[in-house]
Amino acid sequence: MADHTIADARMERRPAGPIAGMGGRLARRLEVRMLVLALIIAAALSVMSPYFLTWTNVFNILDQSVVIGLVAIGMTFVILTGGIDLSVGSVAGLTGIVLGLLLKEVPIPLAILGAVGVGGLIGLFSGILVGYFGLAAFVVTLGVMAIGRSLSYILSGQTAISSIPSDLSNIVYTTVLGVPTNVIFLAAMYLLAFLYLTYTKGGRTIYAVGSNREAARAAGLNVLFYSVLPYVISGAFAAVAITFSIAQLLSADPLAGNLMELDAIAAVVIGGASLYGGRGSIIGTLIGVLIMVMIRNGLNLLGVSPFWQGSAIGGIIIFALLVERLVSTRAAR
Amino acid sequence: MSEDASILTVERAEKTFDRTRALDGASFSLREGEIHALLGANGAGKSTLSKVISGHVRLDAGAVTYKGAPLQLRSTREALEAGIAIVMQETSLAPDLSVLENIFLPELGRPGRLSYGSMRRRAGAILADLGREHVLDLSREVARLSAAERQLVEIAKALALDADVIIFDEPTASLSPGEVEMLFDVMARLKASGRSLIFVSHRLEEVFAVTDRVTIMREGRTVAGPIDTTELTQADIIRHMVGREIGAIYATPGLGEAAAGPVVFSVAGLAAPPAVRDVSFAVRKGEILGLGGLVGAGRSESAEAIFGLRPRAAGTLTLNGRPVNYRHPRQWVRAKVGFVPEDRRRQNIVPDLSVKENLLLAHLGDHQGFGRGYARRAARVEELMARLDLPSHRLADASMLNFSGGMQQKIVIARWLLLDPEVLILDEPTKGVDIGTRQAIYAILRQIADEGVAVVVISSDFEELLGVSTRIVVMSDGMTVADLPSAALDEEKLTLLAAPRTSMQKNTELLEDLAARSGGAAFWALIDGDELICLNAVVAGEAASPGFAPGEVRRLEKTRIPNGLAAREASFTADDGGLATLLVPIRNRRNHDLGWVGLTVRGETPPAETITARIEAYHG
Repeated sequence: MADHTIADARMERRPAGPIAGMGGRLARRLEVRMLVLALIIAAALSVMSPYFLTWTNVFNILDQSVVIGLVAIGMTFVILTGGIDLSVGSVAGLTGIVLGLLLKEVPIPLAILGAVGVGGLIGLFSGILVGYFGLAAFVVTLGVMAIGRSLSYILSGQTAISSIPSDLSNIVYTTVLGVPTNVIFLAAMYLLAFLYLTYTKGGRTIYAVGSNREAARAAGLNVLFYSVLPYVISGAFAAVAITFSIAQLLSADPLAGNLMELDAIAAVVIGGASLYGGRGSIIGTLIGVLIMVMIRNGLNLLGVSPFWQGSAIGGIIIFALLVERLVSTRAAR
Repeated sequence: MSEDASILTVERAEKTFDRTRALDGASFSLREGEIHALLGANGAGKSTLSKVISGHVRLDAGAVTYKGAPLQLRSTREALEAGIAIVMQETSLAPDLSVLENIFLPELGRPGRLSYGSMRRRAGAILADLGREHVLDLSREVARLSAAERQLVEIAKALALDADVIIFDEPTASLSPGEVEMLFDVMARLKASGRSLIFVSHRLEEVFAVTDRVTIMREGRTVAGPIDTTELTQADIIRHMVGREIGAIYATPGLGEAAAGPVVFSVAGLAAPPAVRDVSFAVRKGEILGLGGLVGAGRSESAEAIFGLRPRAAGTLTLNGRPVNYRHPRQWVRAKVGFVPEDRRRQNIVPDLSVKENLLLAHLGDHQGFGRGYARRAARVEELMARLDLPSHRLADASMLNFSGGMQQKIVIARWLLLDPEVLILDEPTKGVDIGTRQAIYAILRQIADEGVAVVVISSDFEELLGVSTRIVVMSDGMTVADLPSAALDEEKLTLLAAPRTSMQKNTELLEDLAARSGGAAFWALIDGDELICLNAVVAGEAASPGFAPGEVRRLEKTRIPNGLAAREASFTADDGGLATLLVPIRNRRNHDLGWVGLTVRGETPPAETITARIEAYHG
């Protein structure tokens, strides 16, 4: 580290080529590299299947991105602080049952609010254990995952709740200018999350806490609050996500959301976030979600057995991480 | 100079990391059995050059000759096998293994059975060669050793491999003055045994104390040397290192103590066990207060306890006359009190945020509101970058990790200046910083003090403390033991004041004994011109009190025994209104002047010879 003053001096003298500079800076941004990967996958799939690049299928992909995309937003917040939330799948299952039960008693908006509130409270519980008591996020959320799934079986009486009012499906099937509301909602949430993480004190604090907790504390940032908040957001988004899923299926299944945490973590990681915290972006996560959904969709279109999907997604995750590691170590040298 | 005596030469060494030209035609030559200083500012390439020699880094171009044959190292293991070892600042020891296992770590990797018995014997012999056989417990876990002890293990490890060339890379950075002396003793022994040492440092006093020849690097090139150390002056070296003349490194105090304003911030009875037991000090508007002490005295811990980075058990903190009980850094930040912790990488830098956001980090802590509020500070950021002589186009850099230590430190300091603090506490602000930046940091501290900021500088570098601060509070074993104007102090007096209380225990025993037997007052003090600095005192009879307490500086005539102090006789001849005083000069084994031990009695005087004999017996 001591040997970089020369470089400093040299870089000052180097005439800045504006175009090369811009291109270089863009290429250095991980999201851009991942976007390129996404485009390559899209191009390859559209060559292999003429149906892939039709409007119907594009909306299909977007529609399939909604549930996992919403969960991945919360997961991004958690991973940015250096934590992990393994409980999102079972929290989704549990809050889905809560929603189903509430819909029998109260109007739709209140029921949704109740379910999202329960999701947030579960997140608060995990967040306090991790942020205040300093327990390992992996273990805490593993525990909450087991509790959540068990409660959702108990509350549901082991069967799916199918008495969902069909009005709920309006939140999915209404369109604005031809775009379904669930896709619009997803886009709006990503925009909000992006703005929050980039332009607010809270967002920047989440990055700082994940990158160097001690330095953040010494600089007077509220480390405790912003270590807990991401888990609340994650729990709430799990509930929002399952609401959209139930709106499509009109049934709340206690098993819903099973393994959803793995998809969400995969999307965040493909999107370039570091599991150590501090590095990652919401745009990257969106690209990660799209890559995963496109591969699933493409393999379906090509008639590949669904059992191959796991291998394809797993391969992409490892490939993405490997490329990232190779590129970033070369940049660091 | 004759080259045939060289054991190792490096010629036209070139090395480029990415775009960084770390070595640009550097050359170096090491004679057998010498201690050779490799000097340079941060980023001059001296670390890279030593890593080339130790096999950590491979050259792009150039030649290394070792014992008359070209040397091409592919790994540190090959270097070790060739007999070249490096002792690094951040040691390469396995913390969970014992001292013995660490010394023979390279052998643990070899197949076959290990004989702990023979390893133990060999380790004992190596430590005996270093004169340190009783200092290190071989079965102790390395994690529990002090920095100095770890270094000793590193050296022993090098000797276990029969290293002929040992590189010491900034070995004194984390050592206390006493430990530095011990290290130098070890280095002298290594040299006497025919080994060749390379000493990488930027502490010039040490270079003069221990090395035979000097090579100075700048911007990847060798700019001077090898030159005999005795032929150089400090100014010569600095000129070569910086490439320009440096005037006084330390900015002259602007208006001095006389102009210092009211007390802005004070601490009384601070405790944060185990490191901090009883700390009190006060800092005035517009002054730079130094907080000094040896490593382990509890200085950093005190600052962290004040700022809420570690729990505080007791203590009254007063800010602008109002008692405050803030327990979170956030509260201090909003009260305009800033703190730059010691460990830059661990406590200051946020690696994933851009340089600009790192600069704005304390702003973010201070800021109340939903947004970031960066725009509000934009003008001030530009101004600070200019004031600290930082290139403002580098603000957009994604990470500050590839900045030099000096630039990083400037950004970290700027982070707090941005908030216009009333009180700024800096812990080791020039650690790992090159001399040019050090000068700039001193200047900026002086400037902000003159603008009315109350500045507290914590440092284990006594020269720095004396140079930068108007007043110094000395800590030892978790307690503040003295509060003196810098003008009354020099490095030696500071070292004596800072000595751990445990080493003063013997002295206290003596003083207690003397005072109790005579019913008077016994003290240990330095007398400098017409001033007395009291290091320790025990008063058995209040009537015989000499009029000063430990840690106090008094003009001789302001004490109650001016005649006795002026006479400095080993007999009770001088009289101060019924008080008779005897003074005996004391020296340590190496004949260093340690000041005077005195006994003041009222009334009947005990036999002077007995007292003198007792004092001399203690300090033989």
